[in-house]
Amino acid sequence: MSKTKSSESVKVVVRCRPMNDKEKASKFNQVVSVDVKLGQIMVRNPREASELPKVFTFDSVYDCNSKQIDLYDETFRPLVDSVLLGFNGTIFAYGQTGTGKTYTMEGVRNDPERRGVIPNSFEHIFTHISRSQNQQYLVRASYLEIYQEEIRDLLSKDQSHRLELRERPDTGVYVKDLSSFVTKSVREIEHVMNVGNQNRSVGATNMNEHSSRSHAIFVITVECSELGMDGENHIRVGKLNLVDLAGSERQTKTGAQGERLKEATKINLSLSALGNVISALVDGRSSHIPYRDSKLTRLLQDSLGGNARTVMVANIGPASYNVEETLTTLRYANRAKNIKNKPHINEDPKDALLREFQEEIARLKDQLEKRVGKKKRRRQRRRAGEGSDGEDLEDAETEDDDEEGGDYWREQQDKLEREKKAILDDHSLVADEKDLLLREKEKKMEDLRREKEVGEMLAAKVKAMESKLLVGGKNIVDHTNEQQRMLELRRQEIAEQTYCSIWKSRFMPSSDHQMMSRPPSAVGYRRPLSHHAQIAMRMKPDMRYKAENILMLDMDLPARTTEEYQEPVIAPKVAAALEDALRDEDEIQVDASGFHSSLGPTLPASASGSLKKPKSGRPRTSKKSSTPTSPFSPCSPGSPLYPQSRGLVPK
Amino acid sequence: MASINSVEWRSICDKFTNAQLLTETESRSDPENDPFRSKYKAREYLREIYCSLKSFEAGDGEEDTVGDNCEQRPTDQPVDGQREDAFSQGLSGDSPAGMRAAKLGAVEYYLGVNHVDTEELPAGQEHLMNCLKMLDRCRVSSENVSLFIHVRNQLGILWAGRDETETAHGFLETAESIYQRYMKEDGRPPTDMTEYFSTEENLLTHQERAKRFELAYTHTMYYLAQVYRNLGENERAATYCHSTLQRQLQLNQFSPMEWALNAATLSQYYITKGQYMEGRHCLAAATVISGLAGEVPSEAAARESETESERREQLQQKRADIARCWIKYCLNLLQDAKKLLEDNIGELDTDRQDELKRARRQEEEEEEKGRKSALLFGSEDTFDSIASVEEKVMCLLPLDFTEARAVFLVGQNYVTQAKEYFQMDGYVTDHIEILQDHSSLFRALAFFEEDLERRCKMHKRRVDMLEPICNDLNSRYYLLIRRQLMFELAETYNEMMDLKLTLANRQADNHSLDSHTIKKFNHLCSASARYFQMFLDSLCSPEGKQPEHLEEEVLRPALVARFRVARLHSKLISSSPPVQLENLNRALENYKYVVQYCEAHPEAAAAVETELELSTEMVGLLPLKINRLKSRMAANN
Repeated sequence: MSKTKSSESVKVVVRCRPMNDKEKASKFNQVVSVDVKLGQIMVRNPREASELPKVFTFDSVYDCNSKQIDLYDETFRPLVDSVLLGFNGTIFAYGQTGTGKTYTMEGVRNDPERRGVIPNSFEHIFTHISRSQNQQYLVRASYLEIYQEEIRDLLSKDQSHRLELRERPDTGVYVKDLSSFVTKSVREIEHVMNVGNQNRSVGATNMNEHSSRSHAIFVITVECSELGMDGENHIRVGKLNLVDLAGSERQTKTGAQGERLKEATKINLSLSALGNVISALVDGRSSHIPYRDSKLTRLLQDSLGGNARTVMVANIGPASYNVEETLTTLRYANRAKNIKNKPHINEDPKDALLREFQEEIARLKDQLEKRVGKKKRRRQRRRAGEGSDGEDLEDAETEDDDEEGGDYWREQQDKLEREKKAILDDHSLVADEKDLLLREKEKKMEDLRREKEVGEMLAAKVKAMESKLLVGGKNIVDHTNEQQRMLELRRQEIAEQTYCSIWKSRFMPSSDHQMMSRPPSAVGYRRPLSHHAQIAMRMKPDMRYKAENILMLDMDLPARTTEEYQEPVIAPKVAAALEDALRDEDEIQVDASGFHSSLGPTLPASASGSLKKPKSGRPRTSKKSSTPTSPFSPCSPGSPLYPQSRGLVPK
Repeated sequence: MASINSVEWRSICDKFTNAQLLTETESRSDPENDPFRSKYKAREYLREIYCSLKSFEAGDGEEDTVGDNCEQRPTDQPVDGQREDAFSQGLSGDSPAGMRAAKLGAVEYYLGVNHVDTEELPAGQEHLMNCLKMLDRCRVSSENVSLFIHVRNQLGILWAGRDETETAHGFLETAESIYQRYMKEDGRPPTDMTEYFSTEENLLTHQERAKRFELAYTHTMYYLAQVYRNLGENERAATYCHSTLQRQLQLNQFSPMEWALNAATLSQYYITKGQYMEGRHCLAAATVISGLAGEVPSEAAARESETESERREQLQQKRADIARCWIKYCLNLLQDAKKLLEDNIGELDTDRQDELKRARRQEEEEEEKGRKSALLFGSEDTFDSIASVEEKVMCLLPLDFTEARAVFLVGQNYVTQAKEYFQMDGYVTDHIEILQDHSSLFRALAFFEEDLERRCKMHKRRVDMLEPICNDLNSRYYLLIRRQLMFELAETYNEMMDLKLTLANRQADNHSLDSHTIKKFNHLCSASARYFQMFLDSLCSPEGKQPEHLEEEVLRPALVARFRVARLHSKLISSSPPVQLENLNRALENYKYVVQYCEAHPEAAAAVETELELSTEMVGLLPLKINRLKSRMAANN
């Protein structure tokens, strides 16, 4: 998940649902077979049995046995993690209706095992926040729908209102008047989603095809503020778009879709699409005006070839009767693989709501401070060194302030009461004069009360605003959580290993298989080739296992294994001393970087990354500990870098 | 055969009406999990109708033999050949046997469409082919011609959906020729297929018949346009798009704004092909027809009701879109003319100008007439207004400043119109595109201007409109646009600098330049270099590192920018030797970069051939100059 990596492809995964009862009852054949390890989907054409099955390769594929949590851990968790780091992320769900799109996205709400991507990501985001330290978060959500090129805000009260897409020179494309809700917990964000879903179905009553023809986008914006090295607050904003695309089987029938979503060869039936036909004739020379861009494409332009990480889940069914649709979906998904994105962290954007909040809170506190502080100063001089400066942003501190303030009010009031009494008791004054003085005192008391009210109101406002900012790390990291965290780390690790299927994790230097990258190899080949295999092919054209992902090892390995046997002979103390002496600089560097990252702004993912490396049970290639001259030969006898040969080495 | 009013017949008619209702209306509200419920029901009705018709046939089956004979044709081939005999051979449409064949064919047709709608394509194809077989027995006549066309339309769609564009093309082309021949030979409004199954009181009027028939043919045109597009024959596709639009206009089946926008889009096809007369005609028609959509509701009205405000928004936007198409028209016209008249150093070639003017006078008359008859829009009442809009701007390439200025002014007028809607706040990309076009209009016009002082002023206008915007934009979201703007600004300053130098040289023949001119010159020179540098900086990584590998789309611009920066630095005028030295060093540095980059990436050399050649030369020469300067400095000290 490196920051500098400039471009990456859209990650495409395919999920195939099991045969349902109806299909089994009508004895349809299963024409789709899934090879999870190779990431391949094979589709047989039932009508032409002699034909070879069509093979598609994707970043990962999931068969009917796949679990929701596996899908999440392997495919979506890394994406949501990068959103928490300040990247933009998009998840597209695509596929014919009835292939499990909703199951993948939403799943079964009340069953934790079968929860879909959306509830899992909610959980993920808020758990992450609760475990964070020294960071302030603001999470907000909006929900909109695009139907026949009209945008509707699913969270607004007035559902008939149409929204417009607009652009601003400083902040880019946005939906004008789109409401967004600040959410503080999983429960709240789920509530937001439910309200939107209800509105979506309300709109659907007048036309039932609606929901499968409309695209829905749920946007979660995570803003995170953290004190940087330079002592300034830095804000990173990550945006997660969860997109439910209209059912693919009707895509062509609805006419106007985005350029990339258009089927190239199908004929538009309705004359209303004449404009699209004509504009397809105009080749993109300078004179073409792109006013037919679909709203969806414009709104998600970052996700399709821009600043975002994108995962597309294509859902398919296995039965023979809709093999055509399955093929269409797979072809479409295949094309999506070629879209290249350039994600980068959104640092200190101008439209961060968090900054506004922080400034507003600071302003209010300042006001409060002035009100109380003016009068308190006198007193504070008396008990110097004790009181807080009130500059701290912590809640507890504010309350302390409040209390002090309260004391002050009481004191003042008491004093006035006493004075009033003194006036009443003072017989030397004339009645008139007494009256005047009394009234004056009363007015003072009244003023005092009003002032107190204003102060309380301000304090309440500050509190309300502060409560919207989420701060983790307080009394949450208890024991159980710690355990859960370890468990999660472990799971993530496993997921990572499964994702980087065998050839990748074993034969590629670890720096080459980052989570979101596709092997550049898949283009033009029947199956993905490892980096190594490609290089080997270039160097030795007539290699034996040319297209296979097989690493040829030279015969020096056996000699090394004998050395390993010597190890136990050395006394433990000597061994320790030796090891210390033998530790080369590279390893020291690794330590230093770990130390460095724990010092710097704690990026949770990087921290966890350094945590899990030493624990990885499986032997992996690691660039860090290999000598630069021969990256493929082991250098320190203690750590075997490659799987042991076990007779597989060609003699 | 059962008489047309018998009970059985009535029940058939009822079933048909039900099936139509189910297919067209009820299917819209089918539930998500059972999307084709109504269509399946309709299919049952159609099957029943088919059986009843068959049983009638068996009842009076004296003519079965004819049918059998016909079925022996080899019909396996799905390709529909040009059947010349369709008009002369077979059963006549109005004979009882002919009617029966048409009716059975119609049911097959509806069954076919039904299967296609429910995504059972092979079954659908079979039914449609059955329908074709039925029709093969008959002669084309007013009773069945509508079915002839419809079934071929459907088969065309079906095969196009399977990527078999050639096959689809065959069916649609036959439909087209059947229509044309029928209209020539008969021309009566034909019976609609729905009338086969309606009782006498429900028959359609002539008008309605004609309308439906013509609409079917409009669709044939429209499908053919798409088929030609898929075949890669864009020119024919454009012609068919044009016919579709023209038919919509003639038959009065269009919404004005939609139509106008389509015509404007079509103009862009013609403009890119250099067919300005057609392009202008489409645009003029678009302008006139968009006027039919009515007045834009006032702002006050828009505030009061939501529908009014939406309508206002729509109308304004579409009119602004059409205005933008006009801008592109003017711009392309000027730019094409410029390309034609340019000599090898980018100046006006007067010989060529004279030659073209002579040629034009000769061609003018015959050509305009010839092309004009080919493609025309409009009904009687719009024709004149379209012509009057056309007259406002020429469609021939402008050959001198006066002509160019006329085109420019029209374009600038549309710029103002378009900008009224596409304001910076809300439509950043569109607004800037319009400004860029405006700037390009100036640039093209400047080419025709002979007075260098005035030419320089035109470039100044470009700078004035682009510079503030370039600095306002957030590069996070508008990186590409900003790069374009930077490059354009850099080039504009460069052009201004060149002009100033020429001017100064002209005025002060042999004298050295005065200090004011030098100051001005240096200012322009460094401004140009600054923007080129800004462009180059925008390519750097967030940490400010130069990219090792330039991506293809920025390869040439980046290397050209380097080259220009180098040249500009070597041009800066200074009297102080240390400053001179520094400038020369910067120049050398940039020349070196170009050379070294092309050495490291041999594939880049092809993109910047001339620049590379000059850079290599300069890398050889500049060190000499620098050394000479150094030694002179040493001597002076």
